[in-house]
Amino acid sequence: MRRWTTMVTGALVCALALGACSSSGEGGNGAGGPSGPGPTRKAAGTLVLGAEQEPDCADWIGSCAGSAWGLWTIQVHTIPRVFDYRKQAGVWTEVPSPLLAGAPEVSERDGKQVVTYRLNPAARWSDGTPITSADFRFTWRAVVDGEDIYDKTGYDLIESVDDSDPRTVVVTFRERYASWRGLFAAYGVLPRHLLEGKDRAEEMADGYEWSGGPWIARWRKGESVTLTPNPRWWGPPPKLAKVVFKFLASSAAEFKAFESRTVKAIYPQPQLEVVGKVTRRDPQARRFVTTETGNVEALWVNNDRFPFDDVRVRQAFAYAVDREAIVRRLFGRLGVTEPVHSFNPPIQSRYAAPAFERYRADPRRVEELMRAAGFRRDGDGPWRKDGRVAEVVLTTTTGNKRRELTLQILQEQLRRAGFRARIGNLPPADLFGEHLPNGDFQVALYAQVVTTLDPGLCVVFCAKNIPGPDNDHSGQNFTRTRVPEADPFLERVDVEADEQERIAASKRADELLAEAMVSLPLDPLPNIGLWDRRIEGPVADNPVLGMFWNVHEWRCRGGRC
Amino acid sequence: MLTFVARRALAAVPVLLVASFLSFWFVRVTVDPTAKVRQSRDPQAVARLRERLRLDEPVVVQYGVWVRDALRGDLGTSERTGEPVSRMLRRALWTTTQLLLWGTAAAALVAVAVGVYSALRAGGVADHLLTTLAFLGLAMPPFWFGLLAIQILAVDLTRWLGLSEPLFGFVGLHSGDGSGFTLDYLRHLVLPVMTLTVGIVAEWSRFQRASMVEVLAAPYIRTARAKGVPRSRLVVRHALRNALLPLVTVMALDVGLLFGGVIVTEQIFSIPGMGRLFVESLRVGDAPVLVAWTVVTAAFVIAANLVADLAYGFLDPRVRPR
Amino acid sequence: MSTGHGADRRPGPSAPPGRRALRRFVRRRPAVVALVVLVLLAAACAAAPWLAPYPPNRQDLLLGPVPPNRSHWLGTDELGRDQLSRILHAGRISLSIGLAVGALSTAVGTAVGAVAGYAGRRVDQALMRVTDLFLVLPGIAILAIALERLGRSPAVIVLVLAGLFWMYVARVVRAEVLSLREREFVEAARAVGASGTRIVVRHLLPNVVGVVVVNAALAVAAAIIAESTLSFLGFGVQPPATSWGVMLADAEGYVATPQAYLLYGPGVAILLTVLSVNFVGDGLREVFDPRTAPR
Repeated sequence: MRRWTTMVTGALVCALALGACSSSGEGGNGAGGPSGPGPTRKAAGTLVLGAEQEPDCADWIGSCAGSAWGLWTIQVHTIPRVFDYRKQAGVWTEVPSPLLAGAPEVSERDGKQVVTYRLNPAARWSDGTPITSADFRFTWRAVVDGEDIYDKTGYDLIESVDDSDPRTVVVTFRERYASWRGLFAAYGVLPRHLLEGKDRAEEMADGYEWSGGPWIARWRKGESVTLTPNPRWWGPPPKLAKVVFKFLASSAAEFKAFESRTVKAIYPQPQLEVVGKVTRRDPQARRFVTTETGNVEALWVNNDRFPFDDVRVRQAFAYAVDREAIVRRLFGRLGVTEPVHSFNPPIQSRYAAPAFERYRADPRRVEELMRAAGFRRDGDGPWRKDGRVAEVVLTTTTGNKRRELTLQILQEQLRRAGFRARIGNLPPADLFGEHLPNGDFQVALYAQVVTTLDPGLCVVFCAKNIPGPDNDHSGQNFTRTRVPEADPFLERVDVEADEQERIAASKRADELLAEAMVSLPLDPLPNIGLWDRRIEGPVADNPVLGMFWNVHEWRCRGGRC
Repeated sequence: MLTFVARRALAAVPVLLVASFLSFWFVRVTVDPTAKVRQSRDPQAVARLRERLRLDEPVVVQYGVWVRDALRGDLGTSERTGEPVSRMLRRALWTTTQLLLWGTAAAALVAVAVGVYSALRAGGVADHLLTTLAFLGLAMPPFWFGLLAIQILAVDLTRWLGLSEPLFGFVGLHSGDGSGFTLDYLRHLVLPVMTLTVGIVAEWSRFQRASMVEVLAAPYIRTARAKGVPRSRLVVRHALRNALLPLVTVMALDVGLLFGGVIVTEQIFSIPGMGRLFVESLRVGDAPVLVAWTVVTAAFVIAANLVADLAYGFLDPRVRPR
Repeated sequence: MSTGHGADRRPGPSAPPGRRALRRFVRRRPAVVALVVLVLLAAACAAAPWLAPYPPNRQDLLLGPVPPNRSHWLGTDELGRDQLSRILHAGRISLSIGLAVGALSTAVGTAVGAVAGYAGRRVDQALMRVTDLFLVLPGIAILAIALERLGRSPAVIVLVLAGLFWMYVARVVRAEVLSLREREFVEAARAVGASGTRIVVRHLLPNVVGVVVVNAALAVAAAIIAESTLSFLGFGVQPPATSWGVMLADAEGYVATPQAYLLYGPGVAILLTVLSVNFVGDGLREVFDPRTAPR
């Protein structure tokens, strides 16, 4: 399961919420939960955490799937999943979640791939009903038969889910499927006894009261999500009595709220004020910065549009852009000085070849390539071919100040290299809903955000996924990339079960994509977490589940946040 | 009196109809209601929606359908959240109404006090100072004022006083997931209300000062003074009463205009009212919400004007029809 | 967006402009000071290409944001661009937008107001209904939708802002014309057979110049503020062009950071401009309407 989310944030655009550990309450002097020190093991304290953007709804497999903040504020705390994600020996890997009694087994039966999950007998929903194989079967059918499902990939390859033993789930695939680990993980498992025969989207859209995780979530639209411990949770119980996610109106508001201690933890977009903050000393705050993310922020180039329909012009473009200068300016203060050189994000780095390393700012190469492509230039003027000017419209989502600034740097760099560059930013809905699918753009700056450890770039670069009648216009190869040599390798990555083969195919594909300069990766969009020093617990980034996934293990010093 | 109220209310109906039609028409031509459905894989979806909204018929007909549904309480479904628009609007409107009520009340109180004080001390140092402040208030971009207020009154002040939490909240109207009318709520109201009303306080106080100066110079006041009416009584009973009248009409118009300020204020202070709803809906081109939003807002403004109109009639019997 | 329309509520008989008026204006010291400030500011912005120490878009990525110092009086922004140079250049756009909106809304408002006031009950009623209607519509929202959908060129910004402001002028001019049309000199003109157009243009308009000028000034001020508000909401002019409002909006995130200095320059520029315009407007009003002069 690949989530193709976009980090679309900004002042106008989105709501940021912050986390804080604060006394909630009437009169503002701390009536939240039993407080005070003591050996009591009871949950204590109210922690107010943040959401940068309020999810539109809570239908995690339908219209609101792929919402990062939906995952981080509600889904991850309430929907049971088969895997958690941990860093082991320096590599992010899937580990069985408390839902399972052990690692799932992959086998082959009658030439078909079979995955067997053994469920933890203690696993149950918040109403006491055990979580069983019937729930898995129900989830599979809900995805496959559902109307408005976000992404059916993988689920549509399942032939059957055997639920004859409530504690054992036997999933049989029609054909080999290498990325099976994403199944029942990103979507999780839904409660059959509560949703069967009902309109799932309707039931879940405005939030739901059941849970199969450590918390029960109550969503007050526009304002907050409140988590309270799920008494039937079979894992280690939450240490806090209450967690509140507050929704904020902008990244600027989020930052100010943290600075003023209104909220005490944030997981913000790396806007520049946040980057600046991280580099300043603040005895009150703790922080992490990770570049090992599932993100690749890139300049996505429309391969169909003049002048970039010519591979030489695309290459010239890549040599015209000083990626290093951009990355240093944006994230240099975080120690990030090197652009990313593959479209496989850092958390999948073992599948990545540093193929785009060859593209360093080089005016001479620009000159050569442009001339080879038949362009001419008078002095400092723009490149021209047959009377047409090499004009580039740079687009990003309105409201994201860091991206707007990035485009202004780019505009200068391109101007010097002889491209006439204009900035035409669009509201996220227009960019992702219309302009990208319709191919109505030239160069767009946005991030691909992946929340699985399984690689797979076919979805965005295989020719068969160019939006068109063959894929009901739902293909996601917005760049109209057509590199026939790369396609077999890209497809192989999706099905190859042999890890070494898979890595080799992925790296080969990287090289071919870079050779054709289908688009230009920029930076890993570092993940930043800031929290108050009073918060104790394993606070760390999780590139798949976000910073707040284990908030049930957090506590506040002395029970007061 | 009742007929007066009824007549004014009735007169507002055609205004409401035309205004809401214009809003409806404007949003219809600028925001494509089928934008989201067009991404659906169901090729019939667009046709069905066009049919339901009568998009192939004249705008007047579409408007008619919309009004018919609206009167039944059905304002459509948000494309962004899938929630009924009426529910979203009700929630947002309630929040914004709080902001407007407190804002108007506070602004009126401050403005009248300042205006009267300045008028009584006309030409003095205090008058000049207050006048300068009013001019500054009028010249400030409201969002800049809000940002400075956060910087100084929330961030800096907290640091100087060594508080663990800011004295004045600026995230929502409650801390945590609190609710209700509490001290916490009041502390969260201060900065948004200030930001929302900085312009109108300045304007109203100037206005109040001018009309107070005028009234104080009127012959009947001079007569009363000559008769030896005590100064405090003179100011309050005779002068203020008459000087308040013009302000009420001004307030009527401005409460409507405040809606613009609400958008900025709610954005800065993360308050989930009409302003935020508008910005979020505009971001994704959520046509059903935008249509209903503009119409409801126009209705709200008309209602505010009507209320002020009636209040004016109440205060000044001459306005009432005989 | 309630700022700056105070004048329309105090229509009064206007004195014919002339040397006497000038003398009266000069006697209002704040207004004169404001006028001087305004002229200096406008001149500085107009001369930005020659006056600004750096080109407004020259980036210095290695430098980045530095606080005010000797080579960058107002510091530099995130891309190492000189803040002072940018403010001067941005002023050209902000002031142009303000002036254009002032001119356009005044022209439309005066025309509508004059016609409504002179042409008799029916036309008057109709026009005033339209005016009231515009007052009721949620202005900023309509504006935002328009900019979101029609693009953000300065021309569109000017058009929609003017569409938002003309009503105020229209109301004042109408009230003024209504009171003037019964006066002797108008009666006299009518008696000698002057046409309606001629009466309006030759006799009425010159007499409403006072209120019109005052309101035009206020419209300019209000437009500059409205432009900044729109920029804050993300509907400002697009780079590489910039305006004070856009610069201010861009600095939003720097509240409570060492880069907070970015927040002050453009804000003060707007404040100073609008303050000056308002003072000048106030001075003018007192010139044309001595009734409100402080006693």
